[in-house]
Order: sequence, then structure tokens, then C-alpha cells
Amino acid sequence: MTRICFRYLALALVRWSGVLISLVLLVEFSFCVVGGSNRHVWGFDVYQSIPLELSVQPISWWELIAERSGATLLALAIAYGGALLFGYAWGILAGRFRRFRAASIFSLPFSLFSCVPGFWFVVLVAIHSYVVWKRPGFANELVVESGPNLLAWWNAAVVALPAMAVATAWQLRSVAGAIENEASRPFVKGLYLTGYSEDAIFYNNILQRALPGIVSLLDRTLPLVLGSFIFLEWAFHYDGVGSLLVESVRLGFYPGIVVSGMWMATLATAVTMGRQVVAKLLQPVQ
Amino acid sequence: MANRRTSKLEKWAVHALARLWEIRNVLFLAVPYFFLLSWLFLGSSSIDSRPAEIFSVPESPVWAEPDSIHWFGTTGSGVDLFQLTRLAMGTSVAVAVVCSFFGISTAMLVVALFAFDSSEHRFRPIFVFSRAGFLLPAMAVLVIFAGGSGGSLPFAMLGIIVVTGFYLAPMIANWFEEGGKGPEVLAGFGLGLSWQDMLVGRVLPKVLRRLVGMFAQLVPVIILLEMALSFMGFTGDRLGVGAMIAYGQQSIIEAPWLAVCPGILASVVVAALSLLGAMVSKVTRSGLLPRHF
Repeated sequence: MTRICFRYLALALVRWSGVLISLVLLVEFSFCVVGGSNRHVWGFDVYQSIPLELSVQPISWWELIAERSGATLLALAIAYGGALLFGYAWGILAGRFRRFRAASIFSLPFSLFSCVPGFWFVVLVAIHSYVVWKRPGFANELVVESGPNLLAWWNAAVVALPAMAVATAWQLRSVAGAIENEASRPFVKGLYLTGYSEDAIFYNNILQRALPGIVSLLDRTLPLVLGSFIFLEWAFHYDGVGSLLVESVRLGFYPGIVVSGMWMATLATAVTMGRQVVAKLLQPVQ
Repeated sequence: MANRRTSKLEKWAVHALARLWEIRNVLFLAVPYFFLLSWLFLGSSSIDSRPAEIFSVPESPVWAEPDSIHWFGTTGSGVDLFQLTRLAMGTSVAVAVVCSFFGISTAMLVVALFAFDSSEHRFRPIFVFSRAGFLLPAMAVLVIFAGGSGGSLPFAMLGIIVVTGFYLAPMIANWFEEGGKGPEVLAGFGLGLSWQDMLVGRVLPKVLRRLVGMFAQLVPVIILLEMALSFMGFTGDRLGVGAMIAYGQQSIIEAPWLAVCPGILASVVVAALSLLGAMVSKVTRSGLLPRHF
């Protein structure tokens, strides 16, 4: 177990380093080679204090990252957690009722919602809040100073919902697809002919055999959710890591770009590593 | 019954009918595509398409709420918002079609660099490189590239093409690997054919057929990407649904329809193209797109 963890940790570190190098090169290429800027990503002068556009009060790097991370992690917990919960539960159910095209039916509401531009949805929520509820709409317009901060949950849920819909639609169909793939194997027909009940075949055979394939889908939607947060947070004026990236790009503030990009990559690397360890442990011993 | 020889014309007609029957699904799907794209592209092109000009609010704005004449209402300068949205959607669809085509071509080109290698692990570099690359969200790459390069539509398109190519290459490489394990390929090996012969004659036609489904699925995804970039202001001062919604936010109290209505048409067009894409994908058996966008 420890050996497996260390092996995948080393692999994750190599990948993480590769992403870091790629990101630095991307920033340098975009801003200096194509954009014509004379400030290079490796120059010491670019790593100055945090601009006022990113934080109204003077704030340290650590405080800024902690504040932004907290906000994004809350939204991520709702979006990614919801996608995994609905995607896996409904995907397995869709696999169980595969004869009735359940995967298409279950994923339909999520697929339809994912056709709605996410940034437009969050703007709609803000407009509805202004016009109907007569209260501030965007996330940065009201700060709760005392009592339970339910508003933070509301704001995180608004940002999370469009990302969750896209991720759930994909997760659900992929899980159902993996199960259907397993169910189309000849042993299933053999079990039917032997007289096994449909439930026994599905839960004791198909699902168990499809488990490694299903687990391998665990981390697939995370980059998508994090990528969606970039424009959703910015559209809803939600102070998270995604909006930090957009604001940093607009200001040409390289440290902000690298930090927010690597924050996302670190999270994706950690989840991928966890998925690889779990998949390895679930693999039958040869 | 008399032994009658069929004329050339009759033979040709029967053959043509048989071919048409074979591609009936494609024809059935081509009709809605034709109508949808015609409707989008045949919109009025005489409208001023500079969003900064259109959405500037004069001292005495003449905007009208949505009614039976102006379905989506008008802007502060009196321009019909429905026609404007239709024009913007036409641009988005055109951008998406171009980006999808060149993105898939880039992916095919990358895969082709490795496909003719006869070793078993021919696509290993693509898979290794993509596993690390997938850790950074595609949207982050696009925002950095489009924003850093000055925020213009050509650079945004270039970014989308490169990112699309990068993310689709492993999927196409997988199709080549699947095709290389088919029974007809194994039989070809038994007959002494080389991998190159097999690739061109048996594997490539199957892959090319599936690319159509990939293209159809990719178009609505890229429309959403382009709209998001346009919303963030990374596609220059051009008319786009994203830019329209962003400009509409400035008059959120006085004229909320400026931000609300463009999104309705955008959602309908994206939903229609997604539905058609799913149907084309089902016919061509392309499978789900990788969810990295």
C-alpha cells in the first residue's frame, strides 16, 4: 500500500512539474512573444505586492490565497460532490435499467441545462435577485458581518450549479456506458441461460466487474468543473481562484496567473493520484 | 418471363437509390442543419456590429421592452435585439465550425505523426503528454493565451484550435488502436499485409467516419467556449452573444432584457446543435467527447 502510494506520488510530482513548466512557458509565450510585453515571467520586478484591483485592503499572498481557496473549495464541494453523487448513483441506476434507455432519460435534464451558457445563468440569478427579490444580486455586493453566513452558501451554490450540470451529464452517461459495456459481454447471456435472476446478475457480477472502469472515471470531470469556475466566478463577481485568474490576466499580473493556474493543477493532480491508488487497490491480484 | 437486359440508366438509378437509402440517416440529419444554419447566416448584415457603439446609452435612451414587434426588445440606441442576437449567433457558429474543423485536423495531424509507426506502443508519447496536460483546465489555457495575446478573435480562435487538437488527439489515437485490433486487420496480417496497408485501407476509413460525429458534437461546445471568452472580453470589440450579455449588465436595472434575451436564443441554438450532434454521433458511433472543456 505504502509502496503504491509513493510510486503514484512520484508520478504526480513529475506531472505537476511538467504542468508548472508548461504554464510558465504559456504565460511567457502569450504575454511576451505574442502580446509584445517586455516584462518577462522570470523577472524579479513582476513579483511585486498584490495590486489593489485584486484586494481592496493590503493583504499578504498567503491571506489572498487562503481567502480565494476557501471560496472556490466551497463551490467545488457542491459542484464536484454533486456531480459524483448524482453521476454515480443515477449512472448505476441507468445501467440497471439499460433496456429502457435510462441513461438518455436520466441525463436529459442535466444535458439540457448544460446547453445554457453558465455565465448567462449566473447573471440571470443576479437580475432576478435585483428585480424580484429587491436585494443585491452579485456575490460581492453584500457581506454578512454577524450570524451564520448562509449567503456564502447561496453564492457558492449559484456558481456551482451550471458546472455541476455539465459534469453530472457526462459522469452519468460515462458510468452507464461502462456498465452497459460490461453487460454486453457473453458471460451475462450465459448467466441468464443458467437461470440467475436479473438482480443477481447485475449487482453480483456486472457491477463488480465494471467497478475498476467506473472508478477510473472519478477524476475526469474535475478539470471541467475547475475550468467552468473561471468564467462563472468572474461573471458572478465571486472572489475565488477562477476570478483571480481572469483578473490577473486582465492586469497582466503574472504571479496571480501562475498561482491560480497551479492551484487548479495541484488539486487535479491530487485527485488523479487518489483515483490511481484506489484503482490499483481495486485491481484483482494476478 | 422474357429475359430483358436492364438499361444503363436503370442500373444507375437503382444504384443511386440504394446509396441514398444507405445514407438516409445522414440526409435526415442534414436537413435540420441546413435550415438552422441558413436561418442564422441569412440574418441582416447591414446592422452596425460594434458592440461598444450599439450598447452605448444615449442621454435620452429609446429602448423598448420585448413586444410583438421587437421580440427581444431594443437597445438604448433603438437597434432590434433579436436581429442583433441572430447576427452574433451566426458569428459564433461560424467561429465554432472553423475551430472544430481545424482543431480536429490538428489532432489528426498529431496522431498521423505516430500512426504509421508499426510498433505496438506507437501512441505512447501522445498519451503520456496528454495525461500531464489534462491537469490544467482547458479554459485556463484559453484565458491565459487569449488574454495575454491582447484579446482578439483570431488569437482566441487559434487558442481554441490548439487546445481542441491537444485534447482530441488521445481520443483519435484510441480509435486507431481500436481499429488496429479488429478481426479484419488481424486477418490482413495473416495474409501478409503491412501495417501501413492496413492503416490506409481498413483503419483510416473507420476513423474518418467517426470524425463526422466528433465534429458535430464539438460545434456546440466551442460555441459555449467562444461565448465565455467573448463575455470576459477576450475576443476583442466584436459582436458576440457573450459581449452582448456583458454590455447588457451595465443597464441591469433600467433594461434587464439586454442581458436576458440574447442568452435565450443562444441556449436554444446550442441545445438544437447539441441534439443534432448527439444524433450524428449515434449514427457514426463516435462516442462521448472527452470532458475537458
